[in-house]
Amino acid sequence: MTTQQSSAPLVTLKLLNKEYGRFTAVNKINLEIQQGEFLTFLGSSGSGKSTTLSMIAGFETPTSGEILLHNKSLINVPSHKRGIGMVFQHYSLFPHMSVRDNIGFPLDIRKTPKAERNKKVDDILKLVQLEDFAERPPTLLSGGQKQRVAIARALVYEPEILLMDEPLGALDKKLREDLQDELRQIHKRLGITIIYVTHDQDEAMRLSERIAIFKEGEIVGLGSGRNLYDSPPNAFVASFLGNSNFIKVRAVSTSEAQFEQQTLKFREQTTPIKTQADILLMVRPENLHVLSEQQAEQEPLTVEMNQIAATVEETVFLGESYTCSVVTESGQRLMSKYISKDHCEIAAGTDIVVRWNVNHTNVYDQWKQSDITKA
Amino acid sequence: MSLLLSSRKWKDLSLLFPICLFLGIFFLIPLVILLIKSVTVPSFGLGNFYELLATSTYIKILGNTFLVATLVTVFAVLLGFPLAWCITLFPKGWGRFLLNVVLLSMWTSLLARTYSWLVLLQSSGVLNKILMGIGLIDQPLELVHNLSGVIIGMTYIMIPFVVLPLQASMSTIDPMVLQAASICGASARSVFFKIFIPLCKPGIFSGALMVFVMSLGYYVTPALLGGVSNMMLPEFIVQQIQNFLNWGVASASASILIAVTLVIFYIYLKVQSDSPTSSNKGS
Repeated sequence: MTTQQSSAPLVTLKLLNKEYGRFTAVNKINLEIQQGEFLTFLGSSGSGKSTTLSMIAGFETPTSGEILLHNKSLINVPSHKRGIGMVFQHYSLFPHMSVRDNIGFPLDIRKTPKAERNKKVDDILKLVQLEDFAERPPTLLSGGQKQRVAIARALVYEPEILLMDEPLGALDKKLREDLQDELRQIHKRLGITIIYVTHDQDEAMRLSERIAIFKEGEIVGLGSGRNLYDSPPNAFVASFLGNSNFIKVRAVSTSEAQFEQQTLKFREQTTPIKTQADILLMVRPENLHVLSEQQAEQEPLTVEMNQIAATVEETVFLGESYTCSVVTESGQRLMSKYISKDHCEIAAGTDIVVRWNVNHTNVYDQWKQSDITKA
Repeated sequence: MSLLLSSRKWKDLSLLFPICLFLGIFFLIPLVILLIKSVTVPSFGLGNFYELLATSTYIKILGNTFLVATLVTVFAVLLGFPLAWCITLFPKGWGRFLLNVVLLSMWTSLLARTYSWLVLLQSSGVLNKILMGIGLIDQPLELVHNLSGVIIGMTYIMIPFVVLPLQASMSTIDPMVLQAASICGASARSVFFKIFIPLCKPGIFSGALMVFVMSLGYYVTPALLGGVSNMMLPEFIVQQIQNFLNWGVASASASILIAVTLVIFYIYLKVQSDSPTSSNKGS
């Protein structure tokens, strides 16, 4: 089963392209989506993630490229014949129908026998916990309830794929987290393939098995959340997902670079770094350890650690953690994050050293300034 | 506290006084006088109504009035619907432009517009000349002073009254709802009949009601474009008063017209109550 899954993807996007006049919304993307997976398109607005979803749904026609479902082209199949379920950001329920009829609509269209239709609607109402609201019009429901109706409507005809376009974007934080958990449960129980669009990286991390990061119409990162976070394929992904420290240095060998008076080590890259090249080192704040000068003397520097001397600029208490920003001699600012229960606050102005493991260092030899400055 | 509130309420209600006075003097009292005349002139009793309902000409006029109003309503809705949809769908500037064209035609003098139709439709008119010129017909079509003249002219005049409420209700429809129906498996046809039309229903109903009721009491256009054989009720009333000074019969006819209008309005309120914009929305 597993081997079959990996050999035959459910959905394949091949060189998919969408242009609006001279603006390229989606730029020749390739992607394979496996049966049963929860894949999230993550990106800021205008990155092409929603356009890609619209093309899969059939609301937009690609300028060129292919969309394959079970290896058959979907390009000329109208959206009502694609057998795909979709949940929209603003619910898009039918205001003139009761909750029950909204959910029953896809079955009525398919002329499902009455008894079977009613049973399916009842089952799905139970799944989304809305049995008591079946006869109400959707206008009388709260946002979270409306979205559950929308999810039920999209699931009731058991589509192979469920598309979700920022479905929780209009809800407040607490409700959003509850529904995220519910969605994960539904995905586990039904084993349906879900393609989810969001601009919220926490949501992407919380929900998905794989994340595709969109930037200017291209997929610039694809993998599990853990993978993308720990070893981002490029500086943009590093900066987009979570917080990061970037240090611009000059390589002096394939695994060493010069920074101020210190030599910083990094792992050999698959395409070796050229000597004298300008490179970018990235370290996550939680991997950057702040030590007072005394602590540094007591704990000798091991081979796989890098060390930089710096001065504390500010420490901020955030409840479970502290963030400590430090500045080096040349003015490089670094951010460290540490758990508050194991440490105490470090006063501003203290001279300290920061250390981090070579294995926690990511190296990039190509980047754009805009990649690493958060908008 | 409640005393304060109720005194406030009365204060607000007093704002209605001027309009109540105005409508009372200039609408209600004349109306009541009219209704009274229908049963008192020339003698007390329902004689006028018996006379009317026993006259075949009157029955024919009443039937014709309803026929015209129904046909005009149907045509105005059929033509106004796509127009309203275009106004809603077109990019902002063009939609506004189209709406302004509709409004402009509504603001032009009724008499001028009706006479224009006369010029266009009469046997030596523009339309007949063109049709004969391109050899489509040998003899001029009789387009005015008959039913078709009235229907053409009145449909044109009534279209804005359909378009405005219809466009208002269409513009509240979220296009994503239509996409949602389509991804649920509904063909374009099903989306139109099962989702779009029901969502337009409030607009269709109020537009159709307005046109129907206005058509029942329309005078100028039927008088100019219609013929003797298909007279409408308002023309009949005018004739009774101006030619025969028959106030009793005229008042009785008017009363019937008012009663019919009220019945239709009542039916409208009943039917309308199950639509999403009706008063039961917030219950």
